[in-house]
Amino acid sequence: MDLLFAGGEVAREDGPPVRADVWIEDGVIRAVGEGVPAPAGARVIAAEGMLVVPAMFDAHVHFREPGQEEKEDIAHGSEAAVNGGVTGVVMMPNTSPPIDTAAVVRMLLDKAREVARIPVYTAGCVTRGRDGAELAGIDGMRQLGVRMLTDDGEPVANPAVLRYAMEYASEFGMFFASHCEVLELSGPRALNEGLVSYRLGIKGSPACSEEICIDRDIRLAHATGAHVHIQHVSSGLGMETVRWWKERGARVTAEVSPHHLIFCEDDIGEYDTRFKMNPPLRTRDDNAALLEGLKEGVFDLIATDHAPHTEFEKAQDFVSAPNGITGLETALVSLFHHFVAAGEFGWDLLVKRYSAEPRRLMGLDPVPVEEGRRADLLLFDPAGETTFSRDFMKSKSINTPFLDRTLKGRIEMVVRGRDVLLERGP
Amino acid sequence: MARKDFLDIASLTREEVHHLLEQAAPFKEVFTRSVKKVPALKGKSVLMLFYEPSTRTHSSFEVAAKRLSADVIDLDVPHSSVVKGETVKDTVDTLQAMRADYIVVRHKMSGMPLAIARQTKASVVNAGDGAHAHPTQALLDAFTLKEVIPEPAGRKVLIAGDILHSRVARSTSTVFRKMGVEVGFLGPGSLLPRKGPAEGIRRFTDFEEALGWGPDVLYLLRVQMERLEVQYFPSVHEYHRVYGVTQERFARVAGEGIYIMHPGPVNRGVELCHEVMDYERSLINQQVENGIAARMAVLYSLKPGTGEGGEE
Repeated sequence: MDLLFAGGEVAREDGPPVRADVWIEDGVIRAVGEGVPAPAGARVIAAEGMLVVPAMFDAHVHFREPGQEEKEDIAHGSEAAVNGGVTGVVMMPNTSPPIDTAAVVRMLLDKAREVARIPVYTAGCVTRGRDGAELAGIDGMRQLGVRMLTDDGEPVANPAVLRYAMEYASEFGMFFASHCEVLELSGPRALNEGLVSYRLGIKGSPACSEEICIDRDIRLAHATGAHVHIQHVSSGLGMETVRWWKERGARVTAEVSPHHLIFCEDDIGEYDTRFKMNPPLRTRDDNAALLEGLKEGVFDLIATDHAPHTEFEKAQDFVSAPNGITGLETALVSLFHHFVAAGEFGWDLLVKRYSAEPRRLMGLDPVPVEEGRRADLLLFDPAGETTFSRDFMKSKSINTPFLDRTLKGRIEMVVRGRDVLLERGP
Repeated sequence: MARKDFLDIASLTREEVHHLLEQAAPFKEVFTRSVKKVPALKGKSVLMLFYEPSTRTHSSFEVAAKRLSADVIDLDVPHSSVVKGETVKDTVDTLQAMRADYIVVRHKMSGMPLAIARQTKASVVNAGDGAHAHPTQALLDAFTLKEVIPEPAGRKVLIAGDILHSRVARSTSTVFRKMGVEVGFLGPGSLLPRKGPAEGIRRFTDFEEALGWGPDVLYLLRVQMERLEVQYFPSVHEYHRVYGVTQERFARVAGEGIYIMHPGPVNRGVELCHEVMDYERSLINQQVENGIAARMAVLYSLKPGTGEGGEE
C-alpha cells in the first residue's frame, strides 16, 4: 500500500525539522516536500503537528538468547524495539553460552531472520566464554558479519589480552566495544560509591573504577591502532577522558544511555532495584556533564543497554538483584520528554545520535527521510503522551523505572519498507 | 508512636526518639523487682529471624520479649548467606504462615528488614542489617548516654574505629545528632567514608587531635581485620598503636574523665587495652543492661497490623 504523510514535519540530523509531506510507494520514499498531491489509491495519514522521523537504531541491547529466555528472547526483544521506534539492534554476547563462535552467531542470525521483523545484528565476544583469557573464534564470527567485539558485562581485565586481541582483529576491520571498570575497585557492583552507598550501607563502586578503565582501553586502542567504542559512560570524568583522547586523534567512539542522562543515585531511595544497573547511576553533576558531552559531540551515540530481568530476580535484596533495566520501549519517548520537550536539545540531535550514528558505527547507511530512500521511519506525535503500563510493554520484562509513568510524546507508527510495523491506533 | 516497624533511626522524629527513651526508663526499673515480667505483650508472638550469628543482640531481644510476656519463636535459618534463588517474597510467605505479631530480623544484606516489612503485616524490628542500620543499638546507646549526661545537647561524642563498615556508627551517630550531640568520627583514612557522613560530623584521623576536640564520650567500635575483604590497615598491632586506646592514651582518657562506650564484644589489645574494662567510667556493661529495656520499649511501642505493608 502507498502512504502519504500529509501536513507534518520531517526530522533530520543536520538541522531542525522541516515542513514536508512524505509519499511512500512500494516501500520507497518517492517524494518529500510541501504540497505533495495525494497519489491515487494512497492511504493519506493526517500528520499535522506530528513529525516523520528516521527510525532509531540501538547499538547496545541484551536479548538473552540463548540461555536466559525467561528474561527476553529475540522475538520479544525485537518487538520491544519496534514499540520504541527502533528498527535495528546490536545484541550483546553475554548470553549463556556466550556468543563467542561462528556456530552460535549462525544459530542466532537464523533465529532472528525467522522471528524478527527488523534487522538484528550481534556482537561477538573478545574472549572465549568471556573468561578474559583465550581469544574467541574471531574470524568465524567475522565471516558471518560480526563487526563489534565485546565482553560486555565485564571488562577484558587483563590488558595484555585486550592488546593482542586489538592487534589481531583490527586487521580484519573489526572494532572493540568496552565495558569499563577495574573489578578490584568495584566491590559488589551494586551502586555508585557516594552519599547514597554510605546511607544504605552497601559498598559502592567508585567512578574512578570506570574512568581508569576507559583511559586504559582507549590508550591500548591508540597504541595498537584499533577502534574502541566506549560503552555506557556514566561519569563526567569518564566523558572528559573520552573527549581528551578524541582531541588527540584516538580512534574512539562512545555512547551514553538514557538512564545515565535522566536518573541519579538519589533515585534509588530505599533500595529500589529498578534503579540498579552497571555502571551505576551517579550524581546530578554527572547527569549534567553527560548531557553536555552529548550536546558537544563527545558521545557519538545514544544506546539503551536494554537489560531485561524477571520480576522475581529484581525482587531480591539490592545487592543480590541483577544489574540492568530495559530501555528499548522507553528511550525515544523519555528522551523527548526530558530533553526535547524541555528545550535541552532538538530533534536533530536525537536523529543523529540515536538513528544515524549508531548505523554508521555498524557500517550501515543511515535512513534519512529523503526521496529515493527505502522507508525506515516513524511518526511521532509530540502532543500525545505514552503510559508505560504492563500492557504497553512488548518485552518479556518490565524492569524499568518508567513502569506506569506517563510521559510526553507518542510513537504513532513505525514503517519499514512496505511493512507498517506499528500502528498505535487511538 | 504509631509505627508498624522499627527499621532505622534516620526516619524517626526527635519526638519519637524522646518517647522511646521515656518508655525504656520504667522497663529498666522493673528489672530491680523480684518479678521482672510485665504482661504487656501476653498472647503475642515474637519471631526471631537471625540470618547472621549474634549471641548478644539475640539474647537481648529474647529477654526483652519474654519480660513483656510474649512468646518467642526462634526460626532456624541458615547463617552463611542468602539461599540462592530465594527472594524476600519467598521468605515472607513462609513467615506469614507462622502468624507472628513481631519479627526481629538480623541480616547481612543491607535493606533486608525493610524489604520484609513491606510485605508483611507483622511489625518488623531491625536487629542489624549489613552496614546499614542497627537502630536498637542506637537507642540503647542514647539511653545510656542520658543516664550519665541527662542533658546531652551540645556535648561531644567521638566514635572511633571502622566507620565505613559499621551499622552501629551510622545509627548511633544519627540518634546522637537527633539529641543535639556533636559527633566526631575517628579512624584510619581507609575506614572513614570519603563522602557520606552527614554534614557537621567532624572527621579525625589523628587520635590526639581528636582528644583535643574535647569529647565527653569515646565510643569505640569493634575492629575485625579478618572480616575485611581487602587490607585497610597494615596490622592489628599497628591499628592498636595508632587508633586504639593504649595504656598511654587510657591515662589521658581517665584523667579527663571521658566516658567509654562500646557495642561489644570488645577486642582487647585492638581497639582498647584491657585496663579500660575496669575503668569506672566505662559504660559497656550498662549498655548491655539498657539494651533489654530499650528493646522492650521498641516492641511495646510498635503497632502490628497497621501501615501499608503486607497483603494477606
